[in-house]
Amino acid sequence: MSVIQGQVQVLDPIGLHARPASQIVKLVKESGLEITIGRNGEEFAKANSALRLMALKIASGETLTVEIPTTDQALADGIITQIQDFLKGD
Amino acid sequence: MTKLASSPGAILKGLGVGLVSAVGDVMVIKHSKPLPEWTKSTKSKTQELEDLKSAIEYVANHLDELGQRAGGTSAEIFEALKVLIEDEELLEVASAHIEDGWIAAAAIGKAVDEFSELLGGDPTFDERVADFQDLSKRVQARLAGIEMALSIPEKGRIVLVGEDFSPADTAQFTEAVVGVITLKGGPTSHTAIICRSKSIAAVVSCPDAASLENGDRVLVDPVGDRVLVSDDESLATKSIEFVAVNSEPLVPVRANIGSLEDAKAASETRANGVGLFRTELLYLSAKTEPTIEQQVASYTEILNAAPAGPIVVRTIDAGSDKPVPFLNMPEEENPSLGVRGYRLIAEHRAFIEGQLKALESARIASGREVWVMAPMIATAEEAKAFSDLARSIGGYKVGIMVETPSIALIVDQLGGIVDFVSVGTNDLSQYLFAADRMNPSLGALLNHWQPALIKSLARIASGAKAAGISSGVCGESASDPAFAVVLAGLGIDSVSVSKSQVAAVHNALSSLSLADAKEVANAVLNQVTAEAAKATALSEIASR
Repeated sequence: MSVIQGQVQVLDPIGLHARPASQIVKLVKESGLEITIGRNGEEFAKANSALRLMALKIASGETLTVEIPTTDQALADGIITQIQDFLKGD
Repeated sequence: MTKLASSPGAILKGLGVGLVSAVGDVMVIKHSKPLPEWTKSTKSKTQELEDLKSAIEYVANHLDELGQRAGGTSAEIFEALKVLIEDEELLEVASAHIEDGWIAAAAIGKAVDEFSELLGGDPTFDERVADFQDLSKRVQARLAGIEMALSIPEKGRIVLVGEDFSPADTAQFTEAVVGVITLKGGPTSHTAIICRSKSIAAVVSCPDAASLENGDRVLVDPVGDRVLVSDDESLATKSIEFVAVNSEPLVPVRANIGSLEDAKAASETRANGVGLFRTELLYLSAKTEPTIEQQVASYTEILNAAPAGPIVVRTIDAGSDKPVPFLNMPEEENPSLGVRGYRLIAEHRAFIEGQLKALESARIASGREVWVMAPMIATAEEAKAFSDLARSIGGYKVGIMVETPSIALIVDQLGGIVDFVSVGTNDLSQYLFAADRMNPSLGALLNHWQPALIKSLARIASGAKAAGISSGVCGESASDPAFAVVLAGLGIDSVSVSKSQVAAVHNALSSLSLADAKEVANAVLNQVTAEAAKATALSEIASR
C-alpha cells in the first residue's frame, strides 16, 4: 500500500497541546485511515490517540511529517492542510 | 443535661462570616467516600472491561453536558478533555491492566498515571495532567458508585453543611443556597471568602454541625458566631447598629479588585479608590506572556473604571501553588514558603519590570493616582530593591505588602525606603501562627481577632507612624466592620475591603470619633483570647 507524506509546522506558541491533538484525532478518525505523525528519524505515533501525540512533546516551531496510507493525492492534501490549520494556534 | 446538638433550640458554636443571617433547610454534603483500593479483580475480565467502558462513557457524557452548559471557549476545553478520557490508546493500556487481573478502577488509574508521567515535567502540559488525573478519579468514582458532582436544587432555601468546600464545589452553588456551615475551615478559607463576596450567611469552624441532618431547619447566625436549630429568624444576633454620625469615615475605605468587572462594581460603591488591585488574574489564564501593549491596554481600562481615589496595584503574586503558565515555576515542597510574589524577581526580573512599565504607561494614559506595591517582602533590603526598581521606572507612590512576620517587626525602619505599607492579614496570620491557610483544621488560629495578630497590627501601625509612612490593611479582616473600627483605633491609615462590604465598613467608621476608636482598640489589646477580643470590641462599641 502506498503512503503519501506531507510536512506540517507547529506554529502554536505552546506546541502540540491537548486542543490541536484532539482536533487531529477527530479528523483522523473521520477519515478512517491509519495516519501516523512524527519527527523525521524518530518513531511515529498513531494519530488516533491524542495522548500519544501529546507524549511526542512537540514544541512550537518544529516540523512534523504526516504519513497517510492512501493513493488519493487530493484526499491526502486536504488532510494535511487541515492538520496544518490545527497547528496554527490562535 | 446537654441537648442533642440537632434538637430544637440547640446552639452550635462556630465562627461567623459576614453580617447576613438566614433560615433554611439543611442539606448535608457528605465528604466523598475514598476511592476504591486498587486490587485484583474477582470478576471476569470481560465484565471489568465492560464496566470500564460504561464508566468512561458516563464521564464523557457528563463532560458533554458541562460543555453545552458553559458554551464558547469553555466548551472547547470540555471537548478536549473528553477526547483525552475516550482516548483509544488509553483504553488499550487500561485493557492490558485488566488482562493482568486488576479491577477496572485500578486499570484506568494506572493507565492515566502512566500517561501523566509521559506528559508531565513540561509546564505547558502540567495543567492538563491535573485535569486528566481528575478525569481518572471521576471514572474510578463512577465505578465505585460514588457521586462526585454536587447536585444542589435551583429552588428553595438551602443551608449546605459540609467539612469544607473546594472552589469546584462553590462554583456549583445555586441561587437556592442561602446559608453555608462548615465543620472545618477558618474565616480566610475559600468558602468564607466566597460566601462573604456573595452575601451568603455562613458559619465556619463549627464541628457540632456534624450532628445536623438533611431537612433540619436552622438559623445561620454569623454575627452571633453560631447556628441555631430554629426557624425563627428574629433570634438572629443583631449586628451592632452603626449609625453614621460623621460624613466621612475615620480612615478612607477602599475596595479590593482583581478585574475590570470588579473595578466597575467597586465604582458603584462609596469606596475611596482601590486599596488592593490583584494583578495576577490578568496572567493566570494567559497561555503566553501578554505584550507590554496588551498589559497597558488592560491596566488603562481598569484604572479608568476604578472608583475615584488612589489605586494601589500589587505586582504579580504567584507561586508554584498559583502558577502563571508562561513563567516557569518548578514544584516546591512548601509553595507558601517558597519562591512567590516579589521573590520571582531572581528568575523573572524582565517580567516584573515589564509589569511596572505597563503600569506607568497606564498611569499616564489614565491620569489616575497609582501606588504600586510588591507582595512577599521579608527584609528592608528587599523593600529597598523593589523601591529602587519601581522609582527608576515610574512616577507612582511605592510600597510593600506586610505579610511576613519578619517585615512586620521592622516597619519602623522603612522610612525613606517606601511611601506606604499594606498589611495582608490573611497571609500574615498564616505565617505568624504557622497555620496553613489551606488546612481546614486550623481555621481557629486564622481568626482575625487573635490577640497576637492584633498586637502585630498595633506594632505595624506605630512603626509606620514613626517612620513617617502610611499604613493600610487589605486582608479579609478589614471587611469586618467592628474590626475596621479597631484598625482605625490602632492607627492604621486606611482599609481596603471586599466590594460587598464597602457600605458596612464605611458606615461603621463614620459612627464614632477617633478618640472612641482608640479606646475600643486599647480595650481589645488587653484581651488574651480571640473570643474575648471580639466580645470586648462589640461591647465597647455598643457602649459609645
